Formats: sequence, structure tokens, C-alpha cells
Amino acid sequence: MTERDTMNELANTAALREPCVPGLFSEEEGARLHGARCTCCNTPYFPRVATCRNPACEESKIVPCTFGGEGRLWSYSVADFPPPLPHRYDKPFVPYAIGVVDLDSGLRVVGQMVDPVEVMRVGARVRLVIEPIHHEDGKAFTSWKFKLL
Amino acid sequence: MHRFGKTGDAIVGEKSVTELCRHAVDMAMKDAGVSWKQVQAVSAASSRFSGGKGWGLNGNDIVEDLGCTGIPVYNLSAGCAAGGNAFNIGYSLVAGGIHDVVLVVGGEVMPKGMIQTSGVEDANDPEYLRQRCVGMPGPAFWATLARRRMFDFGTTEEQMAKVTVKARKCSESNPFARFQKAVSLDEVLASPYVSNPLRLFEICPVSNGAAAAVICSKEMARRFTSKPITVATSAVATIGFDDALPRSLAGPVPSGPSFHTEAKSAVMKAFERSGIGPRDISFTELQDNTCYYELAFPEEWGLCEPGEAERLLEAGETAPTGRMPINPSGGFVSFGEATTAMGVFQIAELTWQLRGQAGGRQVPDAKVGLAQTNGLGGNATAAILKR
Ligand SMILES: [Zn+2]
Repeated sequence: MTERDTMNELANTAALREPCVPGLFSEEEGARLHGARCTCCNTPYFPRVATCRNPACEESKIVPCTFGGEGRLWSYSVADFPPPLPHRYDKPFVPYAIGVVDLDSGLRVVGQMVDPVEVMRVGARVRLVIEPIHHEDGKAFTSWKFKLL
Repeated sequence: MHRFGKTGDAIVGEKSVTELCRHAVDMAMKDAGVSWKQVQAVSAASSRFSGGKGWGLNGNDIVEDLGCTGIPVYNLSAGCAAGGNAFNIGYSLVAGGIHDVVLVVGGEVMPKGMIQTSGVEDANDPEYLRQRCVGMPGPAFWATLARRRMFDFGTTEEQMAKVTVKARKCSESNPFARFQKAVSLDEVLASPYVSNPLRLFEICPVSNGAAAAVICSKEMARRFTSKPITVATSAVATIGFDDALPRSLAGPVPSGPSFHTEAKSAVMKAFERSGIGPRDISFTELQDNTCYYELAFPEEWGLCEPGEAERLLEAGETAPTGRMPINPSGGFVSFGEATTAMGVFQIAELTWQLRGQAGGRQVPDAKVGLAQTNGLGGNATAAILKR
């Protein structure tokens, strides 16, 4: 293990984990995405919206809610090359799979996959997790990801 | 048209977007036999990336260059669909009886590499969040669609590569294409993944280029030619709420299939307004940012049955001489994408095909052509031209 690996390992402990964008998700009570739902037409939203965007909805009634738990991999692709800024990643870059997941709660959401590309398969059951996407200044910056079940 | 190329090469060198457009405009006016003084309005696809005034005022730069006659200029922004939007406005102005002769133009000098976000770190910008929290470059969106098609229909990587082989075969006889050399199946399959399962040769790069067209009223057209090409219709649409493609961070899980609602909506409107159906189309120029679209779009619009595209491709039916020719020009895969030029480049190709001037890539006895673009923001356009 190099010194950097050790630092990164330490940074993964709870105290040094920091969401890459604050307010969008949390992990204190399990991995949750902070979204909303319209109680009139049942449309889920992530991130939150001020009003319902469903043109068929009779009356916008947005209430905050969170999404998490399990879902099914609708499809996936691979970042074979590092994406440009504002994406940040640990070097050297390791290609990762990007999943499009249909959560059982009715939200279709994109996110990095934790598992390697070789084991990906469309239709697989997955679970939402919060994991580091890169390390900087002794901190682990986290985002939501999906893990194969 | 100005042949497509990339900054610094022997084709476009360091030419500005105005220079490229000027070349295309001069060629279009000469072809039409129209002089600059006869042009009553300009409808320009507005560049997001370049232009003398730096604010997407392409049309004004071009008018200034040709000589300020005081005519109205419309600068239209719709991402990669802007050329189609510009054509639609030009068509609407003429069809609505506002003007008799309108010039439509689109051109681009693209920045290098993958198109990036605005660069502003704004947590209210869904595209910023998508890149910061997930890291999903443009080709990854197309790759998820391609992967899903592989799951739904058993499409193989070889079949997708065959789309590029067919496209590049067409480009050999297109003097305006950036790439004019055929590639073999092995060469395509040996090119690296940009976003698995899509490879370098299966995705259009960014290009510089320009295209222009002159639209005029039926009465006026008789003065210039005995065989005008008729615009049967032009339609514009945007994305539907139930689209469900992973364009942003999240949306509702759809109850039905997931597809480009904006593209289908534009094409269906075009069919409806013109009274021309999918079976009447002699050939199609569609937006093939990646080979996936050549397989999916014809099925989504009813040009063929769902799941049938691979068989048609392998039987040679999507080649210019087949039953359902797709992108005889060589498509975006052969041209690269000069965003705002694309919708107008398709109009030029449709016109040449319908006149029987397309040389080695000619669709035999082409009578009706369909053109379609997609653009960032959920924009799409469709146009139908006929002899
Ligand atoms: Zn609602």
C-alpha cells in the first residue's frame, strides 16, 4: 500500500466523508436521495422541484421525500475515458460503469456502478449506496452509486 | 456547402465560421441562380461555440459579410437541431407568405474534444450535477441506449459496426464528407471503445463545416428553374414528459417503451401535415451521432418493424440501392458534427438526391426524402422534400 492509498483509506472513515454536492443525498440513515413527489399525480422527482412538471397533472402538490433501496438495472454504459471537469476522479483513472436504474419506488436514476464493468448485466437487481467518487485534501468526496445484489 | 473538416487540417484550416458560411451561401445562391439583393430574409442556425460577435449572432455576421441590405435576420438556437429549426423558420416565412426568397444557413467551428458543460459550478444546473456526481460524458448517453437495444433485440457489436461500414462506403462518393474512405468491419471493431459498447468509429467526432439553402415561393421558383424541389413540410418538436431517456439525473419509470419522443413527434407531425407516409419515403437522412440511431429511429417512426433494422442493414436494404436507404450522404459518422450546420446539410443532400445529382451515392429514382435532427435541450426537427 502506498502512502496515498493509506490516506485514502483513512479518509473513507465517516468523519472525513463529505458529499460531493451538499444536500442532494445522505447516508446517516441508510443511502437516500433527497427528492420530492407530487401527491396529486404521484410523479417522483430528483433533485427536488418547486412545482409538478407533468402536463397531465391536475394540481401540483409537491412534498419532499427520499428515495433509496433496491431497483433493476435498465441499462448501462462505460466511461472508458475520464470525463472532463466538473467531474473529478482518483488517478490513475479506472473506467467505470454508469447505470440507469429503475428503483422499485418508481424513480429512474443514473449513477456510477460500484462493481466492475465485466460483471454488469441489464436486468440485474441493484441497491443504492453512498460511496466515495474521489479523494482530495484528505477527504473522501461521496456520491450515490449502485451495487449489484 | 463547405466540405467538413477539423481545425488546422487541409480542408478547413483556420477558417472562421463566417468564412465557412460565406462559401456555402455563395454556392447555394449560385446553384439557385439567386442574387444577394433578391434575398428577403436570413434564417441562421446560431452557433453556441463561435462567431465574430460571440453571442450566437451568426446570421448578422453573414449579412454583414455579404453586404448590409437591411433585411431581417433570425438567429436560432436549438443545439444540434438548430439547422433544422432555421430551415423550419425559413420555410414558415415563405409558406406563410411573409417573404418570397429566404436564405437558410448553418455553420460551425467546433471546440476540440468532448463538448463540455457551461463550466459554471451551479448546483441548480442538472447537467453540472450529472457530471459532478456521476460523470457521464455525452457518448455514455448513447451507449446506454445501444446497450439496451442489445438486451431488447439481441443486437451484436458486429451489427452496430456494420452501420459504420455502410456509412463510410457511401462517403467515398461524397465530396463534402470529412472522411471519404471506406472502412472494413475489422477496422471498426479494432477502434477503441469511447463508451462501451460504442467505439470510436461508431461515434461522430466534432467537425467544422457549413451548409446553406435558398427557399422561395412556388411563383418565384418558376423564374429560376423548371424543375424545383418542393418542401412538402417542415416540423419542429420538443421532448415529451413521458420520454424516460436518461438525459438528466432522474425521472419517472415509464409505463411503456423509452425512446426519443422529440424525434418521433417531429417526424409524425411531418407525416401528418404532408399526407406523406413512411412507405412513401424514398430515403432518409437522420441524425446518426452514433450507429445506434440508424437502427432505432427507422423502427420508431414506422419505416420498418421493431427489431427488423439489423436484418435490413445486413441485407443491404439501408444502402442507397436498398429498399429503405438511410443516410446515403454518409451521415454524421462520415461528416462529423458541425452542430448548427447539420440540419441544413441534410437539406442540401435531399436536394441533390431528388435532382439525381448524388453520383456514386445516388438513391435510384429518389422521389421523396425525409430529414431529421435532434438537439440538446430536447429539440428535434423533421422535413420532407419531394421532386
Ligand atoms: Zn403532479
